Amino acid sequence: MAPAFHKAHKHVEFFLQQLVNGITLGGVYALVALGYTMVYGIIQLINFAHGEIFAAGGYMGVILISWLVSQGYPPFICLSVALVLAMGYCALLAMAVEKLAYKPLRSSSRLSVLLSALGMSIFLQNGLMLTQGVYDRAYPGEMVQGGFEIGGAVISYMQIVIVGITVLLLVGLNILVFKTRIGKAMRATAQDKTMSALVGINSSRIISLTFAIGAALACAAGIMVGMYYGSVRYDMGFVPGVKAFSAAVLGGIGNITGAMLGGLIIGMIEVFAAGYISSEYKDVFAFIILIGVLYFMPTGIMGENVDDTRV
Amino acid sequence: MTTPASRKLWLGYAVAMLWFFVLLWPLLGITPEGLEFATSFGIWSKVAVAAAIILALWQLKQRGVFGFVSRPVEALSDSLGKATGVVPTWVWLSLVLAGALAFPLLTERYAHDVAISVLVYVCLGLGLNVVVGMAGLLDLGYIAFYGVGAYTYALLSVHYGLSFWLCLPIAGTFSAIAGCIIGYPTLRMRGDYLAIVTLGFGEIVRIVLNNWMSLTNGPNGILGVKPPGTYWWSDGKIDHIWLGSLEQFYYVILALAVCTVIAVYRLNNSRIGRAFEAVREDQTAAELMGVNTLRIKLLAYALGAIFGGLAGAFFAARMRFVSPESFTFIESAMVLAMVVLGGMGSIPGVILGALALIALPEVFRGFELYRMFVFGGVMALMMLFRPKGLWPAKRMGARSEERD
Amino acid sequence: MKRALYLLSLLLLVSFVAVGCGGEKKEEKKAEAPKAAGIKIGSLSPLTGQYAADGNDIKNGVLAAIEVMNAEMGPLGPVTLQAEDTACDPRQAVAAANKLINEKVTAVIGAYCSSATIPAAEPLMAAKILMLTPASTNEKVTESGHKYMYRTCGRDDDQSKAAVKFTQEYLKAKTIYLVDDKTTYSQGLADNVEKLAAAAGLKVLGHEHVNQGDKDFSAVLTKVKAAKPDVFYVSLQNSAAAAPMLIQVARMGIKTKILAQDAVYHPQLMELAKKDAEGVFLTFGYTDKETPAYKKFAEAYKKLGEPGAYSAYAYDSAVAYLKAVKAAGSTDADKVKAELMKLEFEGASKKIKYKENGDSGSNYVIQVVKDGKFDNFWNPETGELYKK
Repeated sequence: MAPAFHKAHKHVEFFLQQLVNGITLGGVYALVALGYTMVYGIIQLINFAHGEIFAAGGYMGVILISWLVSQGYPPFICLSVALVLAMGYCALLAMAVEKLAYKPLRSSSRLSVLLSALGMSIFLQNGLMLTQGVYDRAYPGEMVQGGFEIGGAVISYMQIVIVGITVLLLVGLNILVFKTRIGKAMRATAQDKTMSALVGINSSRIISLTFAIGAALACAAGIMVGMYYGSVRYDMGFVPGVKAFSAAVLGGIGNITGAMLGGLIIGMIEVFAAGYISSEYKDVFAFIILIGVLYFMPTGIMGENVDDTRV
Repeated sequence: MTTPASRKLWLGYAVAMLWFFVLLWPLLGITPEGLEFATSFGIWSKVAVAAAIILALWQLKQRGVFGFVSRPVEALSDSLGKATGVVPTWVWLSLVLAGALAFPLLTERYAHDVAISVLVYVCLGLGLNVVVGMAGLLDLGYIAFYGVGAYTYALLSVHYGLSFWLCLPIAGTFSAIAGCIIGYPTLRMRGDYLAIVTLGFGEIVRIVLNNWMSLTNGPNGILGVKPPGTYWWSDGKIDHIWLGSLEQFYYVILALAVCTVIAVYRLNNSRIGRAFEAVREDQTAAELMGVNTLRIKLLAYALGAIFGGLAGAFFAARMRFVSPESFTFIESAMVLAMVVLGGMGSIPGVILGALALIALPEVFRGFELYRMFVFGGVMALMMLFRPKGLWPAKRMGARSEERD
Repeated sequence: MKRALYLLSLLLLVSFVAVGCGGEKKEEKKAEAPKAAGIKIGSLSPLTGQYAADGNDIKNGVLAAIEVMNAEMGPLGPVTLQAEDTACDPRQAVAAANKLINEKVTAVIGAYCSSATIPAAEPLMAAKILMLTPASTNEKVTESGHKYMYRTCGRDDDQSKAAVKFTQEYLKAKTIYLVDDKTTYSQGLADNVEKLAAAAGLKVLGHEHVNQGDKDFSAVLTKVKAAKPDVFYVSLQNSAAAAPMLIQVARMGIKTKILAQDAVYHPQLMELAKKDAEGVFLTFGYTDKETPAYKKFAEAYKKLGEPGAYSAYAYDSAVAYLKAVKAAGSTDADKVKAELMKLEFEGASKKIKYKENGDSGSNYVIQVVKDGKFDNFWNPETGELYKK
C-alpha cells in the first residue's frame, strides 16, 4: 500500500481541511453568540428570539441581493449594500421586539421575560414562514466563486469572505465597546443600571442599542450562512441559535471575548468530532465538553462579569 | 380631546405603525421583478385600523366612558368573588373533579384526545414545577425524563411483556436516576449555566435515543407497546382486559394526574418543600439554617424527574409507539412555558398553563397555517398582561413588607 | 386581580369546550347546507415545522386531485378537503387524526413522517377510515396488518435494489460511501443499500450519519474525499437538505458520481444547488410527462406551484380513492376497499394497482439531473438507457 510518508501526508491534509471547516463554522457561531452574550450581559435575558433575527437576516439578504442583482449592479456592490441594509433592518426588528415584548416586563421575574422571548421566537419564525413561504429560498448565483488549495486543503473564496467579514465585524464591535463613549455607557449599564442612570445614561436607549447591535451581527451571520449553504429557510435560526447560545455560555456569558472564543471552540469540536469520532454523536461531544468545562469552571472559560469586558 | 397624554399616545401609535410598515414591506414588497406596495399596504392598513380601534377603545375606557357597563360587571364579579370565598375549597375541588370525571361522557373523541394530552402535560408541568417553581433551578431539558420514562416502559413492555402498572414505578426509578445523573454536575452552577447544561443533557438524551440502534431502534421508534391492563368484571367472571380506548386512557391519566397533584401538594407543605423554598430564596441562609443544599437540590431533580418518568410511561402506553421526535427541545420549552405561564410554584396555575398551551394550538387549528403564528403571539401577550402567571402562587408566610 | 382570574379561567374553559364542540358545530352548518352529502377527505402532513415544504406538496397534490375528480363525481360530490397539520410530532398527529374522525372524513391521505403515520393509523383503522399514504415508505406501515391502509409510493426495498443494480451494472463501481440523515426513511434506505451492495461484492468504504436539519456537511465530506469512493450514495430526507450537500460536494472538489433517492426529487433542488446539481443520479418512479394522466395532473397542479417528490403520489392516492368511491357508489369503507382492490389505472406517478397488503408496487428507474431538469436515464429492468 501507500508508503508511510504518503499516509502521514494524507493525515495532515485531512486535519488541515477539517481545521478550515471548523474555523468557518466557528466564525458563524461566534457572530450569533455575540448577540446572545451582549443581551444577556445587559439585561440577563436569554433572548430566544435571537435565532429568528438571524433567519430574518438571511431572508433580507436573499431579498435584497436578488433585487439588486436584477437591477444589474455588480456583485460586490450588491453584497455590501445588501449587507448594510439588512443589518439595519434586523436592528429595527430587534428593537421592535425589545420594545414590544421585553421592555414592559423589565421589572418582572426573569423567567417571565424568557417566556415572552420564547413566544416571540415562535411568532417571528412563523411570521417568516407566512410571508416567505415554506420552501427554501435560493441565494442568487454564487456571488464569490472558486477557491484554492493549500497543502491539500481546499479553501473557497467564500470561506475567506466569511472569515474576513467576521473578523471585520468583531474588530468593529471591540472598538465600539471599548473605545467609544457609547461603549462606555453600555458597559456602565451592564454593570449597574441604577447607578448609570444616576450619572445621566439613558439606560432604556442603551438597552435598545445593545439589541440593535447584536441583531446586526446576527443578520450578517445569517447572510453569510445563506450564501455559504446556498439557501435560507424560515426555521434556519433554531439550530445555530442553540449552538451559539452554548458558545456564549462556554465562553462565559456576558463576556464578549468569551463569546468569540466559545463560538470558535464549539465549531471546532463539532467538526473534529464528526471527522475523527462519529458524525452522529458530534453534538453529544460538543455538549459533553461544554458540561465538562462548566463543571470545572462554573462561569465559563473567560469567566463572567469580569471587570469591564462585560456588556 | 387632545390632552397632552392622548397626543403622546397617538404620536406613539404613528411611530409604531411607521415602524411596522418598514419591517413589513421589505418582506413582501421587494422582488426581483420590481418593487410592489399593494400587498404589504393591504395587510398594513388592516393592522393599523385594528390597532387604532383598540387604542381608541382603551382611551375611552381610561376616561370611564364604559363605566355604565364595567361598573355593574365589576360589582357582579366582586360579589361572585365574595360568594366563592364563602364556599369552602373542598366544594370547588369536588366540583372540578366531578367535571373531570364526567368529561368523556359529554364530549367526543377529539376532545378526549386533547384532554389526555393536557393531563399528560399537567403531570409534566407539576414535575417541572418541583424543580423550577419550588427549588428555583432552571431546567431546559426536562423532557429527557419524559423520554427516559417512555422508553423504559416501551422496552420493558415489548421485550419482556411486563405490565404497565409494574413498569410505572420502574420508569419512575429510572427517571429519578437520570435526574440524579443530570443533577450532580449542575449542583455547583447557578442560574443560566444550569439552563444550558440541562438543555445539553436534554439534547444528549434525544440524540442517544435517535442513534443507539440496538437498544432504541433509532428513528424508527418502538412499535407495539401494550396499553395498561386490568382485571374487570365481564360476562359474569373476572377477566383481564386492556384499557385501550380513549375513555379508558383518559381515566388512567386522570388518576395519575390527581395522584401527582396530591403528591406535589403534600410535598409543598412538607419539610422538604420548605427546604426547597429556602434554597430558592437564599441558598446561603438556607445552609446556615442547617439545610443540606446539595442533597436538597439533588432531591428536587430526582422528584421532578419521577413525575416526568411516570407521565412518559403513560405516553408510551397511550401512543402504543415511541420515537425520538416526541422529545425535542421545543417540548422542554413548552413544559417550562406551562409552569411560568401558569404561575411558578402554583398547582392550579400549572394546570391552567397546561390547559392553555396544549388546548390553544388545537383551538387554533382553524387558522391552519397561521396556527403557530397566532400561538406565539398569544403566548407573548399573555406574559405581558400577566407577568406573574395566570394564577400566581401564594407565598408561604409572606414577609410583612410584601403583604398587600 | 381576582376578577381577571375568574374571567381568564372562564375564557379557557370556554375555549376548551370549543375544542370539543368545534367539530359538532361545523357539522350542523354542513347539515344546513343544501348539498348535504358530499365526500370529505382529510389529509395529514406537516404544514408547519421543519418538513412543512413536503407537507405542503402532499396537501397540494390532494387539492389537485379533488379539482380533477370533482367533475366526475356526479351526485356523490362535491369533494372537500380538510387538511390537518401533524408537525411530524406523534402527539399532534394523533390529535389531528382524532379531529378528522370527529369531522367524519371518509378517507385520509397521509401522513408524511413514519412517526406520524404509525400512531395516527391506530385510531383511523379503529374508526374504519381508509388511509392512503403517499410518502411513508417504511415496510412496517403496510406490514402491521392494518386492514384499511394503502401505500401509493414505492417501498424502500425495491428502491435500494434499483440503486445497487445501477451502481454495479451501469456505473461499474467497486466502492461506495453512504451518508444518511437519521430519519426512518433515509436511514432505512441507506441501510438497505449498504446491505445489498455488500452482498453484491461492492466495498462499502463508510456509512456516515448526519443530523436532521444540519446544513454543514464539511466534516463528513472531508472523510468522503479522503476515501475516494466510486459512488457516493446520498440518502437525505428532502431536497432542502440535499441542496447544501451538493453545493458543498462541489466546493470540496469531490468528483465522485453521486446517487441520491426519491426524496430529493423536487424542482427546488436545481433552484437551490444550481449547477452543482447537474449530473446527479437519483432513483425515482418512472415518470412519463407525456401521458394524458400526467398532463391532467400537471394542469391541475399548475396554480399550486411546482410538483415535488410527493405531489404526484398524493394526487394518485386521492384519485384512486375517489375512483373507488365512484365505482362503489358509496363511501362505506368496506365497499370502497373492495373497489380499491379491483382498481387498476394509469396514474400521474405510475400504474396504480393495489395488492392485498396495501402496497401498490414500485417502478423505480434511475433519473439524472440534466440542464436543470429531471430526466429518465436508465431502466433497471432492462439495463438500458432511455432515449431522449
